[in-house]
Amino acid sequence: MRNRISLFGWPELIAVLLLSCGFFVPMFTRSVLIYSVLNQVFIGVVAAQSVWIMLRMNLLSFATPAFMALGGYTVAIAGRYEITNAFVVTAGAFLVPALVAVPLGALVLRLRGTYFVLVTFVLSEIVQLLIFETPSLTGGSDGISGVPPVTLLGTDMATNRQVLQFCCGIAVLATVVTGGLTRYFRQHFAAIEENEILAESLGLVVWRYKALGFVVAAGIAGLAGFALVSMLLTAHPSSFAAAIAVDFIAYTIIGGPTSILGPLFGTGALVYATNLFGTHGQYAQGLYGILILIVMLVARGGIVGTVGLLFNRLRGARR
Amino acid sequence: MTDLRVESLSKRFGGLRVFQDISFDLPAGGLLGVIGPNGAGKTTLINVISGRQPATAGRVILDGRDITNQPAYAVSRLGLARSFQQTNTFKSVSVGENIARAIRFGSRGAPPGLASMLTDFGLMSRQNEIADKLPYGLQKILGLVMSFATSPRILLLDEPAAGLERNERQIVDSFVQRVRQAGASVLIVEHDMDLIRRLCPRILVLDAGALLADGPPAEVLARPDVIAAYLGEEAA
Amino acid sequence: MAQFLQAAIIGLSLGAQYALLALGFTLIFGILGVVNFAHGGFYMLGGYVAYSCVALLGVPYPLAVLIAVAATAALGWVFELFLLERLVDDHLATLMLTLGLYLILSNGLLQTFGPLAMEFRFPVSGAIRLGPVYVPQENLIVLAICLAAIVALWVVLYRTDLGRGLRALADDRAVAMAQGLRPKLLFPMAFALATGLAGLTGALVTPILALSPGVGDPVLATSFLTVILGGLGSLQGAALAAFAVGLVEAFCSVYFGGSIGALILFVLVLLLLVFRPTGLLGRTVRGA
Repeated sequence: MRNRISLFGWPELIAVLLLSCGFFVPMFTRSVLIYSVLNQVFIGVVAAQSVWIMLRMNLLSFATPAFMALGGYTVAIAGRYEITNAFVVTAGAFLVPALVAVPLGALVLRLRGTYFVLVTFVLSEIVQLLIFETPSLTGGSDGISGVPPVTLLGTDMATNRQVLQFCCGIAVLATVVTGGLTRYFRQHFAAIEENEILAESLGLVVWRYKALGFVVAAGIAGLAGFALVSMLLTAHPSSFAAAIAVDFIAYTIIGGPTSILGPLFGTGALVYATNLFGTHGQYAQGLYGILILIVMLVARGGIVGTVGLLFNRLRGARR
Repeated sequence: MTDLRVESLSKRFGGLRVFQDISFDLPAGGLLGVIGPNGAGKTTLINVISGRQPATAGRVILDGRDITNQPAYAVSRLGLARSFQQTNTFKSVSVGENIARAIRFGSRGAPPGLASMLTDFGLMSRQNEIADKLPYGLQKILGLVMSFATSPRILLLDEPAAGLERNERQIVDSFVQRVRQAGASVLIVEHDMDLIRRLCPRILVLDAGALLADGPPAEVLARPDVIAAYLGEEAA
Repeated sequence: MAQFLQAAIIGLSLGAQYALLALGFTLIFGILGVVNFAHGGFYMLGGYVAYSCVALLGVPYPLAVLIAVAATAALGWVFELFLLERLVDDHLATLMLTLGLYLILSNGLLQTFGPLAMEFRFPVSGAIRLGPVYVPQENLIVLAICLAAIVALWVVLYRTDLGRGLRALADDRAVAMAQGLRPKLLFPMAFALATGLAGLTGALVTPILALSPGVGDPVLATSFLTVILGGLGSLQGAALAAFAVGLVEAFCSVYFGGSIGALILFVLVLLLLVFRPTGLLGRTVRGA
């Protein structure tokens, strides 16, 4: 029977192509507003993908802000020592949270369901408090401002245009990693999501895939934190408050958890709506709340799942 | 040579004794039936042997190697597989994908005879159907075939015939014979006494967590204490 | 010595507030298996309802507190009956629903009342001398009401048919249903009871602490903390842990300052969750 393994499928390809369009946006516009919205989308997509990886295994994680903070502060602290090489700091922003996630994963992945949710929430609170308690390293409640822009092949990524394109690059990189991982281990993740006990009794080493997912999700979140810091040129604790995990979970759930296009479309739609409805996004949270209720009660597939369903129905009707 | 040996195995949940001091051997290529009234601890016995739940005391030895309290995936990878009482498949994917996952997770390659088993049990022609959409009996049989698709040397079956129609029970007979032809030994926990009599040259009787009898079915089922255990259940 | 006593009294009065919040939270988890992310939202709502009654309608404060309790309980009842009930067996789905409700509640209050803190004062002020220390009267009143509410809750849960039904559902839903208990009737009541307690706490405490749209977040975090320490679903555990958390917070803020007390508590909770998810008292609780 079929046992084909592929690294990339259509959804992954579409996601990468769509995100790559961001590189060409500066050819058409110089609008600061559009740049700012796009940067928010790029950062949001990366963070939402981190949530999505764990959701593939039926684990809802509130730990994204914790690992974002690790990635962001790694870059900010590296900047103090004038380490700004784009490749080095990108690797650092991925690897530091990923390495921290190895021992943490060994602890928290013993828990399932509600208990996992609670422990990841607690983790984000702890990291937030740790930032306040270590002012010599992290600047405490003041954060670290004046982070130098990263340098790519000898050029500072300092202008609006360069920051946008760099964030775009990070989002594409994160999508390639996330897409590759979830596509390569699609069977394993899907089996754990649907029936962990059966998968394990058939011989699947479940903890190994959960740990791998957790570590990569931490690294991806680190990249999101990096992108955020390189946009603001500041690492501030308020950027990584535990409560922002809710936004990324909303992006993922509302976009639809079944495909990598879910976090992408969810982030795009919600960030756009946030900027459309209020200048400072003051309606955003209420909107997310209403959409979450709608998705949970009547459209469990989210945007992507519902569109797919309608598409199939139309095709069926035409036949 | 002994393949599976269970030595003085006991299991408690807090103060509740599920079973105590169970010992038996399952020789290579052997076939053993386990019967007993509801609540005798049969399913928990399979759970403890297969690593799903930890033992309170005693040992499980596979080919001379102590596998007590090894995690379920490790026990499975050592060649001891189990089926589940309720239908247990990956419900949202196709029959073919279910089998592919069993082969892949088992990591020893497909066993000989799997293809003909799929054809004869009517699963090959339905390989593109979603598991959840199959008739109940066929879902249950798919679960059995998946446990075999991991290429086990020992297979523990937890009430394979429960919930099946009379005509579907023939498939369980055929399944057990084919598994043994492939060289694996089988332990069956079952309520269907006809099926046990047809298949098993030797049976164990569990009652209230203790091993009541061990021997050929004709002999064991004639024993007054065994009859009493079953009559007790019918009276309750 | 005076400082020590002062901290102890503050700690006890914080503990009583946390106990009311945590008892509701753990009641919902124990009986429905739901983690109520909207708990802080009900606390906030209680505060704003009481404020609106007093400031806009001129209702006397005690009556305003009762109205706040009724309003939060009613909203909890409706939410459980019409939304939560449909997905009550799906842990992640119910969690998302309560999260959605929290976002709507806190944003709705922000839209209605604006981002600034409200001018909401407790009607009684002044201090009473207790030995070497002065204790604000309002703290003592709140402490007394909280303790009375805890006793009342205990009476409801352990001395009435409703309470026996609720506890039976928490112990084993299947058995309770076989005995003829009806979750469809009892679940909304349990949820309303819990959210009413959160509303009561909000109405009592926000005039002393603060009333602004941000006050729900720390309430949720503290409820988590307390309930995990006490063992998810355990009522006695939650009550004891609440006083422990209150005392630790009070003493740490007096003697260490900053957020070190919170950090210690959170790390303790992390370790507890991982190694002893049944909490400090070790009562067995339902699986998640």
